[in-house]
Amino acid sequence: MPIAWATAWRTWQMTRRAYPWTYAVGTVLPAALAISLAYLGYHAIGGGTVAADFQQGSGTTAYLAYVVVGATAFQFTVRLILWSAKALITEQRQGTLGALLVAPAGRFPYLLGFTVFAVLSSLVEFLTLGLVIAALGVSVPVSSAAGALLGALALVAAVFALSVGLGGLMIAAGEAHISQNTVFIVLGLVGGFTFPRDYLPLWAQWFAELLPTTSAMDVLHGAFTGGQSLPDLLPRLGVCALLTAAYLLLGLLYLPRAEARAVERTY
Amino acid sequence: MTTSVKAAIEVRALRKEFPVRDKGIFGPRGVKRAVDGLDLDVPRGRITGLLGLNGAGKTTTIKTVATLLRPTSGRVTVDGLDTVTDARAVRRRINLIAGGERMVYTRMTGRENLWYFGQLYDVPKKELRPRIDDLLALVGLTDVADTMVERYSRGMTQRLAIARGLVNRPAYLLLDEPTLGLDAPIARDLRRVVARLAEEGTGVLLTSHYLAEVEELCGHVYVISAGRHLAAGSPAELKAATGTHRTIRLTVTTPSPATAAVATRFGADLELLPTGAELITLRHPDDMAGPLAAAIVEAGGSIGGLEIAEASLEDAILALADGSREAATV
Ligand SMILES: Nc1ncnc2c1ncn2[C@@H]1O[C@H](COP(=O)(O)OP(=O)(O)OP(=O)(O)O)[C@@H](O)[C@H]1O
Ligand SMILES: [Mg+2]
Repeated sequence: MPIAWATAWRTWQMTRRAYPWTYAVGTVLPAALAISLAYLGYHAIGGGTVAADFQQGSGTTAYLAYVVVGATAFQFTVRLILWSAKALITEQRQGTLGALLVAPAGRFPYLLGFTVFAVLSSLVEFLTLGLVIAALGVSVPVSSAAGALLGALALVAAVFALSVGLGGLMIAAGEAHISQNTVFIVLGLVGGFTFPRDYLPLWAQWFAELLPTTSAMDVLHGAFTGGQSLPDLLPRLGVCALLTAAYLLLGLLYLPRAEARAVERTY
Repeated sequence: MTTSVKAAIEVRALRKEFPVRDKGIFGPRGVKRAVDGLDLDVPRGRITGLLGLNGAGKTTTIKTVATLLRPTSGRVTVDGLDTVTDARAVRRRINLIAGGERMVYTRMTGRENLWYFGQLYDVPKKELRPRIDDLLALVGLTDVADTMVERYSRGMTQRLAIARGLVNRPAYLLLDEPTLGLDAPIARDLRRVVARLAEEGTGVLLTSHYLAEVEELCGHVYVISAGRHLAAGSPAELKAATGTHRTIRLTVTTPSPATAAVATRFGADLELLPTGAELITLRHPDDMAGPLAAAIVEAGGSIGGLEIAEASLEDAILALADGSREAATV
């Protein structure tokens, strides 16, 4: 996919010139903070033990490891959305949307390029985050390495699919701030990242099932702290694949309309 | 159903309405009809002009042809391909250069920009390198090819945007005020480039506020007003049709009621100059300079100066616009 690579390379060049390298360190602070707070809460309030309902919901007593997986995944999700969903509105703001839209290149490889860039640049952030986690002395068990890898891929695909439509909404509305923060709050609250969804009211649990990231998170938690093997994880992977395909399809169908609307809005 | 597939852009009964809200975002919704039943043909190998006053609907028309806007009704085809249903195929054949928009990335060099857009147009690797060099030379940016665009001047950025518009060797080039803000010599170079491309077979649709530019370049011109067709033809035909062929300015150094009567008889305008002389201005399709001067002399006036100006396309457009405004108020 030459367009995906060209877009990833271009984004890398532009980002490298726009931000100092310390930026990559700064962006992991929210995750580092979330993990540190969990650490404090676990030891200072929980006395180093977890409640029975947590164990029931998460399948583990390794609360800190659970939070490390969840907070890292959430951080990664946020980064991916910030790059992929905001790609088009950024073009619009810098006056290049028209030049992009008159070109025949498909939006799928273009957006994929942003995701490729976001994934690669997140690896640097993971290293930084790894240092924080190591400093706190949290060890994360891995019950299925293959499951963890597939779960990570599923999460990338799910977030990508979500970002396609979200990016369309952003350019159509000419607004990114409210949309992105709404998505972050919703995902953080009901997406099953840092705490089991059993704590949520039933309607919120069902709502979470509609998000493609939820099943990916179940796979990730299951493959790390959940003690599950690959066959245990396959059903949730399947759900994730279906939802991802649905979101992607709807997003790609909606994008041309959103683009036309964006052009109408900014004349 | 019969669709004639010919090598041209064909705009048929195009109408484009924009939703507008009258008072704030919660105000009642209305529509603004920017283009209202327009027909245009842009064949290959010719520069077709699209003229009209501000807000006439030129940019809306060009953006619709460029697949950026969807027609409210009517249709636009490019070599028989519909701009909505075959947008991808249309985009391969066209490109758009809009003088008012940036259209290039500032945090990349000129060369990187052209390379990236070359990728978006799927230009084969072997062709892209030499093409980028050619384009940079064409717009005079070879020396700053590896400088970041954010250090370019406005005119340089615009020239890069022009090179970007040529990166896919479009069969049709859509130019919306391409020389806006360019220095005269650079604008002239651009006109040469466009003229050459048209000679080589590119179909060009051009809007410009510099009517001299349109007159110089365009083989055929459409004049629109409030999104509607007003007139069409070659610049010469338009000038002939509006009847403002020549403007004669004759100065009478010794004005008298008799000379004024002559002027009135010819249907000319009279203006008393600060010097005490009188300026007689006559617009007429025929060359009336001789008869007018003779009549003035006969009436006892002495002529201080005589000036004959051929009508420009600008005069013709102004006359057309005046006409449409009058027609609208009747
Ligand atoms: N996106 C839009 N939303 C609402 N109204 C619009 C939009 N684009 C254009 N219009 C309106 O439609 C009319 C035609 O606009 P357009 O930009 O096509 O004119 P133009 O001929 O290019 O004018 P100019 O010479 O000023 O560039 C104008 O009245 C304009 O205000
Ligand atoms: Mg315009």
